[in-house]
Amino acid sequence: MKRLGAGLALLAGLTAFGMVPAVAQNDFYKDKVINFVVHGSPAGGHTRHARMIAPYIQKHTGAKEVRITNLQGGGGLKGANSLWREKTDGYTIALSSIPTLILAPLAGSAGAQFDATKFTYIARVTSEPRVLTVGGKSPLKTVDDLRKLNRPFVFPSQGTDEDFYTMAVLFDVLGLPIKMVTGYEGNADTALAVIKGDGDGHITSWSQTVGSIASGDKRPFLIVGSERIPEAPDVPTVFEVTPREKHASLRAIINTVDLHRCLIGPPNMDAKAVAALRTLVMAAMNDPELKAESLKNKMPLTPLDGAKVTEMVSEVAKASGSLSPILKAAVKTIQ
Amino acid sequence: MIDAIVAGLAALMTPQAMVFMFIGVIYGLVIGILPGLGGVVAMALLLPFTHGFEVAATLALLLGAHIATIWGSSVTGILFNVPGAAKSLTSCFDGYPMTKKGQATRALGASATGALLGGILGAIFLAVSIPLVRPIMLALGPSEYLMMALWGLTIIATFSEGSLMKGLIASVLGILIAFIGMDPVTATPRYTFDILYLMEGISFPVAMIGLFAVAEMMKLYVKGGSIVDRQLTEERSTVWQGVRDAFVHRWLIVRSSLLGVWIGVLPGVGATVGGLAAYAQAVQTSKTPERFGKGAVEGVIAPDATVGANEGGGLMPTLAFGIPGGEGMAILLVAFIGLGIVPGPDMLTKNLDLVFSMVWIIVIANIIVTIIGLGVAPYLARLPALHANLMVPAVLAVCFVGAYATRGQIEDVAMAVAFGILGYLMDKYHYSRANLVIGMVLAIMIERNLHLSLTLYGGDFLLERPVAAAMLAFIIVTTALPFARRWWKRRKLASAGGRA
Repeated sequence: MKRLGAGLALLAGLTAFGMVPAVAQNDFYKDKVINFVVHGSPAGGHTRHARMIAPYIQKHTGAKEVRITNLQGGGGLKGANSLWREKTDGYTIALSSIPTLILAPLAGSAGAQFDATKFTYIARVTSEPRVLTVGGKSPLKTVDDLRKLNRPFVFPSQGTDEDFYTMAVLFDVLGLPIKMVTGYEGNADTALAVIKGDGDGHITSWSQTVGSIASGDKRPFLIVGSERIPEAPDVPTVFEVTPREKHASLRAIINTVDLHRCLIGPPNMDAKAVAALRTLVMAAMNDPELKAESLKNKMPLTPLDGAKVTEMVSEVAKASGSLSPILKAAVKTIQ
Repeated sequence: MIDAIVAGLAALMTPQAMVFMFIGVIYGLVIGILPGLGGVVAMALLLPFTHGFEVAATLALLLGAHIATIWGSSVTGILFNVPGAAKSLTSCFDGYPMTKKGQATRALGASATGALLGGILGAIFLAVSIPLVRPIMLALGPSEYLMMALWGLTIIATFSEGSLMKGLIASVLGILIAFIGMDPVTATPRYTFDILYLMEGISFPVAMIGLFAVAEMMKLYVKGGSIVDRQLTEERSTVWQGVRDAFVHRWLIVRSSLLGVWIGVLPGVGATVGGLAAYAQAVQTSKTPERFGKGAVEGVIAPDATVGANEGGGLMPTLAFGIPGGEGMAILLVAFIGLGIVPGPDMLTKNLDLVFSMVWIIVIANIIVTIIGLGVAPYLARLPALHANLMVPAVLAVCFVGAYATRGQIEDVAMAVAFGILGYLMDKYHYSRANLVIGMVLAIMIERNLHLSLTLYGGDFLLERPVAAAMLAFIIVTTALPFARRWWKRRKLASAGGRA
């Protein structure tokens, strides 16, 4: 015991005189365990992405282990509430859906017990373009057809998710009526409703809908993003068909949706940990081996630096003043 | 098509594929036996180990495990009143009473054979009905799903013997419990008291573990001894009796399998509702419906055949429309993509042999499960004779681990205990636990589909949806039939008595 005490005293003395080298930034996680919490089910898309990138995060950080656990529920709100109260030492990070974190509080959801702008943003992992599709037999071909519809556009939805809010803002900007039909069980259910003609259209990611577009069951109608996509070069973006002066609220919601899946940490996370993670995670995601794996698995990675993500989140928060009434009104229509 | 059927089988005839299927089946049986964990968890845990193997072998591993969980889940339901997964809930209704009567081996044999025949018939129906899948999926919608849920609700009468009022109270309690959480239609929190845990709603498997398993162990602890006292009730049945039962009730199996395939095909219905609907159908078509709930072998066979056939049907939404159906299918999709296969309507033309490989996997895995099942059933049937001092701690430990594992939340363990106490009291005062569970399963499905029907088609949706109207007429007739039969019998007896 005495010997241990002496050793500690010596170490303290040496440290005070600067004789022990300071831990290099990139060694922050060396031989440590990183708890990687996925805010989604073990079978879902979040977990697939997490499992794909975790080995590369381990490789680049030198961590002993990157331990993946799932914390699902409340559409990601449960995980976010838990992360809000997490230790700030930098050893617990999460893969979360950012649109949910931003939109749920704006729409007044009672389940959100956090401030999305205060989380620590480490990097965006992926963002897949979302597409508004209509049924293969639908008379709607262009936005002009939408204007001539003479009835509300019927939108089957599984609940108040980001697509629900996006449609609310899009139709507010277009100045056209929309009828939200909630209560569907998931993407398969809403897709069938659109194919059958029970609904006019729904929003999905491109990879989820490519099969039914190829078979003619559905048609892409609008790209819910800022740029057209190479897979459907003739399909306009939502910005091309809406009046420019109303783009602010549309831009805010699209930016939110674009953030998609990000690696985040609790508020006020240790600054050294944040700096190390931002650099190392970006290095991991640009690893050629991981890039090849993502191509092979058809699980795209679109990394974006944490500082840029933070900037985008605060921009969205600033524009939230105009979004909040639209979102709350949309929720009111289904209640 | 014949070529594809042969090619599909040939792809499985490699040593790797057969070994993988065997591993998958054994593993699936173990996962199935653990309460709360079912096929989705089994596949999710296997997924990371599937990279770099043959396509057929990977699918054999995943689907084999998925199939094996069905019988695994029924085993604990039959022996201990502990359903291994939500879809095997119905195995408690008649399987457990059979165990108490000393017929556990027979029940296990009947269950395994029911699942096997259901799996095989389901695969055949599926292969034959591939051209019909698209039109039928397009013809059915929320109104028809609503009718299916209403049909499930008719079983309440079966478990309300003695007091219909008590039966109804139990069902209403189930409905109220199901309403806890975020309402699926308006996203309004209901009965949550601002507690985040309650916002997600009460997990169905956790409630089931509590109501049946924990309550049963409490009862056993209070009573002492064992579930089955071998000195009083000797186990005299054999697996062959169970196998014979399945063949005797072959038409019941054919009907249940057809039901299972179509319930699998329809997204948003689910195997749990499928099992309940199969049970309802077995009760309603039986000449002696009063035997159900007290150890009628048909009550074991019908749901297992339906759940067995359900798996093949579940493949259809992805194959026919390129959209993943349930969570189990989402995992298979991950595997497909990892293997370089793009799921979608092309599967039915370009990759038909792969589709048939999956159909064959379902058939072969079911055969392996049944062979293992029939072999081990006599040994398993001895377990309920274990003394409470051994049984209670062992089963409770497994139950609490299962309750925790369903969502990884410690609150769920406390909830399982709370439901255990509720279940114990309900049993003591003769309120049917089965009715509570039926109310819980069907409440949200009815609410969701009634809302969708009203919003899409208006208040007179039955006029717009003739299929739903026909289904409603069918439900009314089949529900009234036993009552009418009883009335007729009584009248006949009365008139015979009068003549005498």
